[in-house]
Amino acid sequence: MNAVLRTENLRVEYRSRELKQQTKVALAGLNLSVQTGEVFGFLGPNGAGKTTTMNVLLGYVNATAGAAYLFDVNVREPIARQRIGYLPELTYYYKFLTAEELLRFYARIFEIPKAETEARIDQLLKLVELEHARKRPIRTYSKGMQQRAGIAQALINNPDLLLLDEPTSGLDPLGRMKVREIIQRLKNEGKTVFFSSHELGEVETICDRVAILHQGELKVQGRVDDLVKEHQCNLEQVFLKVVGYQPQQS
Amino acid sequence: MRKAALILILLLLICFSLVAWLQPRYETRTSVATSGNVLADLLGDGRKMVADYFYVQADVYFHSGYYPSVFDQARQQEESDSDVAHPEEGNSQEENGFMGKPLDWIERFSRRFEPSVHTHLEGKKIGEILPWMKLSTDLDPNRIQTYVVTAYWLRKRLGKSAEAEDFLRSGLKANPHSPDLLYALGQIYLQDRKDYPHAKNLFLAALRCWHDVEDPKPLKTETGEEVRNTLLLEQILGGLAEEEAAAGRLDQALRYLEQLKANASDPAGVQQQIDKMKARINAEKK
Amino acid sequence: MNKIFAVAAVVIKELYRRKDFYVLFILTALITGLMWLMNFFHDEQIVRFIKEICLMLIWVCSLVIAVTTAARQIPAERESRTIFPLLAKPITRWQVMVGKFLGCWLATGVALLVFYIFVALVSASREHTLSVDAYFQAFWLHWQMLGIVIAMTMLGSVTLSVAANMTIIFIVSIGILVMGGFLHKLAERMTEPSASLLTAIYFIIPHLELFNMRELIIHDWTGANLPRWTDVLGDTVYGLAYSAFFLIAACLVFRRKALN
Repeated sequence: MNAVLRTENLRVEYRSRELKQQTKVALAGLNLSVQTGEVFGFLGPNGAGKTTTMNVLLGYVNATAGAAYLFDVNVREPIARQRIGYLPELTYYYKFLTAEELLRFYARIFEIPKAETEARIDQLLKLVELEHARKRPIRTYSKGMQQRAGIAQALINNPDLLLLDEPTSGLDPLGRMKVREIIQRLKNEGKTVFFSSHELGEVETICDRVAILHQGELKVQGRVDDLVKEHQCNLEQVFLKVVGYQPQQS
Repeated sequence: MRKAALILILLLLICFSLVAWLQPRYETRTSVATSGNVLADLLGDGRKMVADYFYVQADVYFHSGYYPSVFDQARQQEESDSDVAHPEEGNSQEENGFMGKPLDWIERFSRRFEPSVHTHLEGKKIGEILPWMKLSTDLDPNRIQTYVVTAYWLRKRLGKSAEAEDFLRSGLKANPHSPDLLYALGQIYLQDRKDYPHAKNLFLAALRCWHDVEDPKPLKTETGEEVRNTLLLEQILGGLAEEEAAAGRLDQALRYLEQLKANASDPAGVQQQIDKMKARINAEKK
Repeated sequence: MNKIFAVAAVVIKELYRRKDFYVLFILTALITGLMWLMNFFHDEQIVRFIKEICLMLIWVCSLVIAVTTAARQIPAERESRTIFPLLAKPITRWQVMVGKFLGCWLATGVALLVFYIFVALVSASREHTLSVDAYFQAFWLHWQMLGIVIAMTMLGSVTLSVAANMTIIFIVSIGILVMGGFLHKLAERMTEPSASLLTAIYFIIPHLELFNMRELIIHDWTGANLPRWTDVLGDTVYGLAYSAFFLIAACLVFRRKALN
């Protein structure tokens, strides 16, 4: 099977005035591979390098060394993002646009034909249950509605790979369930989902494979079942073991 | 909350009372009176500068925008001095126009987007300068020249004698002893209204004010520059002579012409007028 | 190009959904109306004074709209984090920058057209004539000038804070409009090295005053006294060259800028 997402010795270093010109290594030679059709969980404590990895994959940040590929196209090429959808953790969209206008705008960026755009907008707004609010500006939406608008924009181009950054962060249980349903539906359609999350229970339920990052290094990568079997504990305990957490002896 | 509101109201009342008590004392001490014009009050003493600018703007409008910048004016002055120093080289101002030769391609190109022909406003179009003149006097009511020039254009080009008179009278309110304004008003009564007694009174008042204002001044400075406004005296005496002649009092007109000749910059020209008047008197006697 | 136009369309939508343009237009119309009602010696024909005030207001308002719209494009995207979902799409940073510029320029162009139609109607109602050529040339050149200012502002927006950028651009633009054409004359009266420095600045700066046809409009210069169409074309090329220069510089800086 071809890897839809691949990193080869990906290294990212930051040098900033705040760090007094010292170099901080955010990623140290990351080798990652995500296959077609799988739901891949990207885990790690805060500051592990998950967001940096996402930023490189999305072209926000250039790697210091190594390379990253989406569908075998280097991420530095904008065309690499033609077949992906991205849902950021914090949903900020143009407040003065309506959900419909926002989707139409992004569809135009993807150069989707007009007739197809309108059909897809109707379909997506129905999926995320925003039909009743399609003509209202986004500044009038609640947080949950904004998140749902975010999901719709991530799916506007019918992506083969979906990148989700903490997709259930800040959502109520109903919202989380809807997100899980969408991920499952995408998986059933043969799409690939790559998401980072702190909700290990959720990850254990829906992910096929996971990778755990710590201090810029890939600590472990593999199928959830295999990891759980290997370490004889649940995913949370695997996570804690891998990142070197020692419970305090009382 | 109620206590805070009451304290605030009390403070406001104290401030208001203080202002009401201090303001008249301040005005008395500094002799500052508001002009009633918002722009004048806002600008303070800077209004004279703005008034001058508005007067220049009227001139710009008279020339339909074709007007030298301060740099062009400075250059004009330099070239004029050079022409005086080296007359054999010809008049450079006439050759290049007031803008002179462009210094570079940018300046040459920019002139295509500006007025580039020397013209004057004609006919009723002269009215376009009026707003600037009015604003100039609103800001600086002591700018006599503005009243006089505006009244001239109102009378001569626009046929608005009544408006010219009102304007001059408003100037007189701010400058009650101005011989220029009195003379200009006299002209209206003489030439437009044909009200000779009224015109005479105004010319005589102008003459009295001229003597009060100008007599104490020396004729010329040590460097030979004219100080006393003798041109205005000539105009007033000329006006009186014209009025007396129009009213049929030729002898009195002749006396004013004699006075004019004694003060004229061109006595020969006045002598011709005297000769004509004498001939007219003789003809009437016959 | 479709992507660039998509970004431009969003900028235009933003401008006409904000209240800035409407407020400025109403203010201009009110002040012009007040001027209209003023009575100068019962002369109903006076119109140049009104045109001058109106055109001055239009220049100020258009500059305000152009600079405030352009100055907040990229910073607002970064601050509100809308830049992230946008750049996650198959669009490059230079396409975003050019799209933003085009959107600002087109939006201010539409606003400017409304202003010029207004002043043309005001003047035609008193003069009973209208030189369409003159007004079109004035509008067109004014719009080109705003293109340069917008491009400068976009460059500033990727290097400075919004407030600093707006302040500097206003000062520079107004400075060039007022003094730009006289710098070389000033330099003549100075000693070295100030004279050389001022002369260099004179030749480097974009001469925004080349796009100012207010005097011709105010004083009714029409027909043969108007600039030739070849001159207008030359001026347009000059304006586009400077706009392109500043825009390219902005793209180059933005390309290397961290997004957060």
